[in-house]
Amino acid sequence: MSLLSVNGLSVKFKQRREDLVALHDVSLSLERGERLAIVGESGAGKSLLGYAIVNLLMKPGFIAEGSIKLDDRELTRLSSKQWQEIRGKKIAMIFQDPMVTLNPVLSVGDQMVEAIRSHTRINYSDAKKLAIEKLAHVRIAAPAQRFDQYPHELSGGMRQRVIIAIALLLAPEIIIADEPTTALDVTIQAEILQLLKQICADNGVALILITHDFGVVSRIAERTLVMYAGRIVEQGPTLEIINDPQHPYTQGLLNALPQMALPGQRLNQIQGNMPPLNDQPSGCAFHPRCPYAEDKCRQQPPNFIFSGVSTVACYAIEDMLQAFEPLSEEDADD
Amino acid sequence: MTKPLMSIRGVEKAFRSRNGWRWASWLSGRTQTVKSDQVFAINGVDLTIERGETLCVVGETGCGKSTLARLLMGLERPDHGQIAYLGERIDDLSDRQRMPYRQKIQMVFQNPYASLNPRMTVYQILREAIVLHHTGWNRQQVDAFIEELLISVGLSSDAEDRYPHEFSGGQRQRISIARALSVEPDLIVADEPLAALDVSVQAQVLNLMMDKQQALGLTYVFITHDLAVVEHFATRVAVMYLGRVCEVASRQQLFNSPKHPYTQALLSSIPRLDNLALEPIHLSGEVPTPLEKPTGCSFCGRCPLVNQRCYEQIPLMQVQTDGSQVACHAVEEGRAWK
Repeated sequence: MSLLSVNGLSVKFKQRREDLVALHDVSLSLERGERLAIVGESGAGKSLLGYAIVNLLMKPGFIAEGSIKLDDRELTRLSSKQWQEIRGKKIAMIFQDPMVTLNPVLSVGDQMVEAIRSHTRINYSDAKKLAIEKLAHVRIAAPAQRFDQYPHELSGGMRQRVIIAIALLLAPEIIIADEPTTALDVTIQAEILQLLKQICADNGVALILITHDFGVVSRIAERTLVMYAGRIVEQGPTLEIINDPQHPYTQGLLNALPQMALPGQRLNQIQGNMPPLNDQPSGCAFHPRCPYAEDKCRQQPPNFIFSGVSTVACYAIEDMLQAFEPLSEEDADD
Repeated sequence: MTKPLMSIRGVEKAFRSRNGWRWASWLSGRTQTVKSDQVFAINGVDLTIERGETLCVVGETGCGKSTLARLLMGLERPDHGQIAYLGERIDDLSDRQRMPYRQKIQMVFQNPYASLNPRMTVYQILREAIVLHHTGWNRQQVDAFIEELLISVGLSSDAEDRYPHEFSGGQRQRISIARALSVEPDLIVADEPLAALDVSVQAQVLNLMMDKQQALGLTYVFITHDLAVVEHFATRVAVMYLGRVCEVASRQQLFNSPKHPYTQALLSSIPRLDNLALEPIHLSGEVPTPLEKPTGCSFCGRCPLVNQRCYEQIPLMQVQTDGSQVACHAVEEGRAWK
């Protein structure tokens, strides 16, 4: 049984006339200790999915349908009091910008002790000891001194380490990291990714990494989930998706990377933009930009099928698989 | 020998971050001075920009690459050193004298949400620049030129009556590029023009910039931290670290045989899809603050090849056998990686 399973999740935004649908029927599962990446462009709904899992949706957003289960416990119907038992303790979250995540008027140590003491009955000195231990764990030099410093005294990379340490304080089972390295420089990014990967491996923590960067995904995640316009379009093992993308959107996204074209040549761009929430196309959401779009793509959204590499929602792949099917039946007859 | 399009010699620029002040203590009768803090953004940069090339300037946050762009544009004046355009010194000109050069050097900024005036229509934005520099043109000429310009950057001509907020990020960056092109410049300085855009839109804008370069023979100074873009787009690359240029090389030389230890670490840190096995070189420590002017090599605090000389003496740019330029004592002495 998987640690976390999301089934048919729809998130809507309440509007006066008609609710806007931001997530359409999203399902995913996460095993214990697994590292999963959610990839997509801005507006694809990847952060929203992260927020929905930890019940941090802001009004007017709400979960309209579907279930989120952690160890068979349904999360969508919990009260906010019950959520305090889950958030931080079972599922911790790391946000994008380390400059704004930490409270500027509390010292690093106070924020850490506050997090521990709001969840467990423990005295200050024990909490402090635990906090310093975790700071050392994320390879912060001189953790006892850092404990008394304020966030503005630390660099961006150091702050992100502190945030990771805070996420680890209560030994969660899942860490959701929303673009944890986007605001950092490349050399620091490499260190933070390495750290996250190692910490998850050492403590058996499962990781959901939300990012737009396939390079980051390839470094850290075992399984990848590609989102487009509030829907999952493809999911499968990371290396397989990168080497042999199935969905036309994944192909377009990977082909648009500068390293996929010869230096100085034109890049392979995807035409157009992602549709806005109030103007979603019928059928498959990607059809206005898709080079393989046919009539049926405009009418009915495609279902998920296993392509042999990954699970994809696309009629073009479905047709291709069907074209091969009679062959395999004949083989079976012989 | 033809003159380089622009040349920068020994440029330094510092910003004051806290004003110095004096106070006299009323009780003790003594005066006390608090020194002002200075941020040394650029400490002696030499660069040349040749006509028709794409010079990419790479480096991490705070290394002075945006300050360099602003110095080239004349938005800041250097404290020391000279900046010349086709051999003529332009950094000490008055604003009025500088006008003809502003037409030749244009800029595309990072954030397309902030660099277009929200109260002006696209027509007004483009017209303002054209009328300022093409004083002889009549209304028909200007209108025809704007329409042509919008179509050439991939927007429809009915975009002219709309406001910036009606466009997506990628389209806005197209408008910024159209504005820069509207005065027919020689050189476009682009400061992280792709950083605020999505991957698929980045490709569209990068393609547009390459098309324009081919059609109009533009020269680009492209400031970025994204090495994948550099590898695709640059003809020459300058790597900056803490206010100094540490390596200048052609694209092939830089990516095939990076010489400066910082360049090597930087290249190994890019998450790439085609070298998954390669482990990034970890640099110890963080980028130091530019509050103090370093006495030696600015990279000495994080360099794995450091020795005593690096702390005491500023390394000078030296031309290597393959034509690239590197400022590093370790490369000069042939110190090897452990």
